[in-house]
Amino acid sequence: MTQPVSPPRDTAGKIPPVGRLTPWRALPARADVRTLSLLGVLAALVVIGGITKPDEFLDTRNLQLVLTQASVIGVVTVGMTFVITSGGIDLSVGAIVALASVWATTVATQEYGFAGILFTAMLVGLGCGLVNGLLIAYGGMVPFIATLAMLASARGLALQITDGRTQIVSIDSVLKLGERDSYVLGIPPLVLVFALVTIAGWLALNRTTFGRRSVAVGGNAEAARLAGIDVRRQRLYLYLLSGLCCGIAAFLLIVLSGSGQNTNGNLYELDAIAAAIIGGTLLSGGRGTITGSVLGVLIFTTITNIFALNNLQSDVQQIAKGAIIVAAVLVQRRTASTN
Amino acid sequence: MAQEPPLLSMSGIAKSFPGVRALDGVDLDVQAGEVHCLLGQNGAGKSTLIKVLAGAHQPDEGTISWRGEPVTLRSPIAAMRLGIATIYQELDLVEHLSVAENVHLGHEPTTAGFVVRGRTARTSTAALLKRLGHPEIDPARLVGELSAAQQQIVSMARALSHDVRLIVMDEPSAALDPDEVDNLFRIVADLTADGVAVVYISHRLEEIRRIGDRVTVLKDGRAVAGGLPAKTTPTRDVVALMTGRNVEYVFPERPEREPDAEPVLRVRGLARDGEFDPLDLDLRPGEIVGLAGLVGSGRSEILETIYGARRPTAGSVSVDGRTLRPGSVRSAVGAGLGLAPEERKAQALLMLESVTRNVSVSSLSRFSWAGWVDRRAERGAARAAVRELSLRPDNPEVPVRTLSGGNQQKAVLARWLLRGCRVLLLDEPTRGVDVGARAELYAVVRRLADDGLAVLLVSSEVPEVLGLADRVLVLREGRVVHTAPARELDEHRVLDLVMEGTPAS
Amino acid sequence: MSHTTSRRGLLFGTAAVSAGALLTACTSNDTKDDKTAANNQPAADDKPGKHVTIGFAGPQADHGWLNAINDNAKNRAKKYSDVSLEVTEGSNDTAQQIGQIETLINKKVDVLVVLPADGKALTQVGLKAMRAGIPVINLDRIFNSAQAYRCYIGGDNYGMGLNAGRYIGEKLKDKPNARVVELAGLDNLELTKQRTQGFDDALKNYPNIQKVARQAAEFTVESGQAKMAQLLQAQSKFDALWNHDDDQGVGALRAIQQAGRDDFLMVGGAGALSAFQAIKQDDGVLKATVLYPPTMAASAIDLARALGQAKGVGGLAEFEIPASITLYSAVVDKTNVDQYMSTGFR
Repeated sequence: MTQPVSPPRDTAGKIPPVGRLTPWRALPARADVRTLSLLGVLAALVVIGGITKPDEFLDTRNLQLVLTQASVIGVVTVGMTFVITSGGIDLSVGAIVALASVWATTVATQEYGFAGILFTAMLVGLGCGLVNGLLIAYGGMVPFIATLAMLASARGLALQITDGRTQIVSIDSVLKLGERDSYVLGIPPLVLVFALVTIAGWLALNRTTFGRRSVAVGGNAEAARLAGIDVRRQRLYLYLLSGLCCGIAAFLLIVLSGSGQNTNGNLYELDAIAAAIIGGTLLSGGRGTITGSVLGVLIFTTITNIFALNNLQSDVQQIAKGAIIVAAVLVQRRTASTN
Repeated sequence: MAQEPPLLSMSGIAKSFPGVRALDGVDLDVQAGEVHCLLGQNGAGKSTLIKVLAGAHQPDEGTISWRGEPVTLRSPIAAMRLGIATIYQELDLVEHLSVAENVHLGHEPTTAGFVVRGRTARTSTAALLKRLGHPEIDPARLVGELSAAQQQIVSMARALSHDVRLIVMDEPSAALDPDEVDNLFRIVADLTADGVAVVYISHRLEEIRRIGDRVTVLKDGRAVAGGLPAKTTPTRDVVALMTGRNVEYVFPERPEREPDAEPVLRVRGLARDGEFDPLDLDLRPGEIVGLAGLVGSGRSEILETIYGARRPTAGSVSVDGRTLRPGSVRSAVGAGLGLAPEERKAQALLMLESVTRNVSVSSLSRFSWAGWVDRRAERGAARAAVRELSLRPDNPEVPVRTLSGGNQQKAVLARWLLRGCRVLLLDEPTRGVDVGARAELYAVVRRLADDGLAVLLVSSEVPEVLGLADRVLVLREGRVVHTAPARELDEHRVLDLVMEGTPAS
Repeated sequence: MSHTTSRRGLLFGTAAVSAGALLTACTSNDTKDDKTAANNQPAADDKPGKHVTIGFAGPQADHGWLNAINDNAKNRAKKYSDVSLEVTEGSNDTAQQIGQIETLINKKVDVLVVLPADGKALTQVGLKAMRAGIPVINLDRIFNSAQAYRCYIGGDNYGMGLNAGRYIGEKLKDKPNARVVELAGLDNLELTKQRTQGFDDALKNYPNIQKVARQAAEFTVESGQAKMAQLLQAQSKFDALWNHDDDQGVGALRAIQQAGRDDFLMVGGAGALSAFQAIKQDDGVLKATVLYPPTMAASAIDLARALGQAKGVGGLAEFEIPASITLYSAVVDKTNVDQYMSTGFR
């Protein structure tokens, strides 16, 4: 009989001492392997960037650029990570970003200045999240369908508000935030917001009852219910959180682009889901990692950056992005099964 | 028979998974026309062995011979081509396809290679169903509309639609009524008369006695005995082989005194239309009350309704005089109820998480301030609860999925212990728990009761209810037909009540 | 591809010239020049004539330019007392647009003006209208078959690139080793390829100029900002930038401002109001933009009205209006921006 190809074992024919295998060490170790493999990919990209374009890539301004470009989608991905961890999906994130960004940049809103724009963006995000959450948690709708409906409606509403026009922001304090003068110790304010959202997200997922309940609902909703968790309220909160993240992201996008447009946030849902998945969050729920998601976002942004610096065109970029997703997931499956 | 090469011969089969050596050099010989029983506790390697046999797992070591020729079972299709069919416990049927489509899935009768001849498929399916004693199943019906027993018949028809020489049946009687079991045995007898070999997996010794020819016992991934005569090997010997020691069910002693405290749980007129009739029940601290009944008697439904997981159509539940909100698990948990459900993996455990997190999930507010979890306090409390129940391994940071069935059950109990619950609802607490680990679990339950918990126990194993409970309610078709102290009942009497519904005296 | 080439051929033929002339005749409202066609075929004018019902079907206006198309059509129709316009809900869904056009056919409108979501996919319904005796004015995105329209009028993507390249070339022709960067539009659209091709072809006439980088954005402000930021980081020094689209140009200008760069000249595309204003102010890098005029929708209404009243158009000798009109992609810079200001879209 032919030997099937199998993952390398310690010693052929030897019984692993089950009791001494210390599986309790294997769990955090596995999480570390995943993070390390992502860091490895990122390091490899840095090497590639450094070799191909040493002057342009290894440059403070480029680091600022990459982090800034990652900020908007990064904030969305943090929210998405929670939703996916809880076993759900939010396809409406891009549309919510679009709606929040145009609602916050109408002539009427701009009269209220900086605060008007900021709060409108967050409130619109929360409002959309509330509708998603109510439909899913209390209306019994499948997340895929409910958020797909939100995607369509929010995009439609955004188009209606703008009439397809680009809404230019004329509030100086908002515009300034996206310019070099506002950098704090060389860090763009957008990146600071992204960092804060990441830290808050990490703490919320790993250190709070909210995070625990999100994981429990995603891991086994029925068990969570029978353990006395209010699963529906938890789901509502999760979509609210995702909506809020979209609102923040919309504000960042307004600052970055100096405008609001109904085409904003195009395909964010796919980018955010892809980043969360290659980061190690289980699409089926029950396991989520903010660190992984953020690394996923940084990997994608760095790829885009390297390709742009090397003047490779968008067709090549898209192919590479697809290949990276497949490769990252395959590598993770391998590390997960051999570790 | 002995001089021919065996139909199937597996030797030295080994298979490892991360962290587990599931099979460690198993030998198995199966002759044509015999019923070869495979016995073993959960985790002994039965499932892995049949998956190797079905081509679903590739063994790391060992050889497989088929009619004396070495073969490689590279895939389920390769196994099927040889004539090996497997009927899994969890049936692998497509619910949204018809019976005939399921039976012929993957080898549909076709015209010109691609046009499915539906009529031919239905006719041949009807013939197979008739042979299996179930002509009433319409080949055109959707499988999802059939009962579990009927689905099993469909699965068997699918096996027989191939030119099958060996059928593996994984606990086929688990979901069946007694007369359906009789039909199953008749089918098995017919098959073996035609020279088909049957590998029969069951943990019910009496079934093995009735239909088995030979028995192979697996323990810890090894065949500790191969080819024993099924009808004559003493039970004690078989049990000893499975557990490695002679065991009888050892039940903890009951306290002598009658519990005299006020009832903590009062159930009044609780009912659910179509499931169970109005039920009155008082449960005192320190008391274990058993609900005995067959599948379908409403016992699990009663537990889940008390717990608020199902909404009652009438009646009320109160704890310490406070009436619970009907159909609200949160109200029940808040009042001090805890449920260890029948399907632990599906209904209780977070399989990706550690023991600690599984234990603390219902008491998070105790370890948190403004939503902030104090992980040290959480770990400490979880560790204490886990120690209290002597959960193994001692370290609560292991993933709960690496635990044995009995220890997983302890993790669920620890959850409610930590929560400080007053009333524990146990649904089939020893399902999937090794025989050797059961006694320990019984002792734990009794100790919890002695510490003042009220326990409501549901079990389909009558000796378990009689041995553990103080008081027993016998259920039949959703009605309590008899209530008595456990010491006044014996197994025969309860079985009579469960089947007939009238006191046998 | 063959139809691209033929369109290009058309451009270099007489049509381009005549179209330019026609456009002026069509869009300018002054009728003091009362010269009619050489024959006695009356040319369309502002005087009320036979009443014409025009059906207008366009895509969803999710972009400034498309929005301007709708506005141009509606405003133009409003000007004529003898024209009533039936406008469908804009749609990007081919099936839905086919349904809308069929409804217009059933209503028996006199003339159809169609800007298809997808020209190829809507050819059949264009044929159907023509067979039903309703002449079709095909706007911008061309049908597969010339039988499906009576008159095609559209912009010239290749010409846009060509004129942008010429403008930049003339500005940089005395500069040795000049470097040029291109911010293209959505790369999976054929029109983007055509614009790039025209740009490259024009630059071939200037051996001192080299195109050093090209990145594709998506016609959105967001993508314009993102891609431009990368381009600026990639190219620490260049002399000119051509941006295909003024909408994404808003984002590109933002990125340029954020990077603090002003060492090059920028040429835009399409003709947005904000671009015109920036050109007029002349305090930034944006010095010119190449038109892809949404006024073509107004012209289409004029053509439709002329067809409905069986008239020709002024400025041409023929009895009939032409079968195909390709608009000229004029370059708007500081010298002529005032003239175009009113056509700028928001």
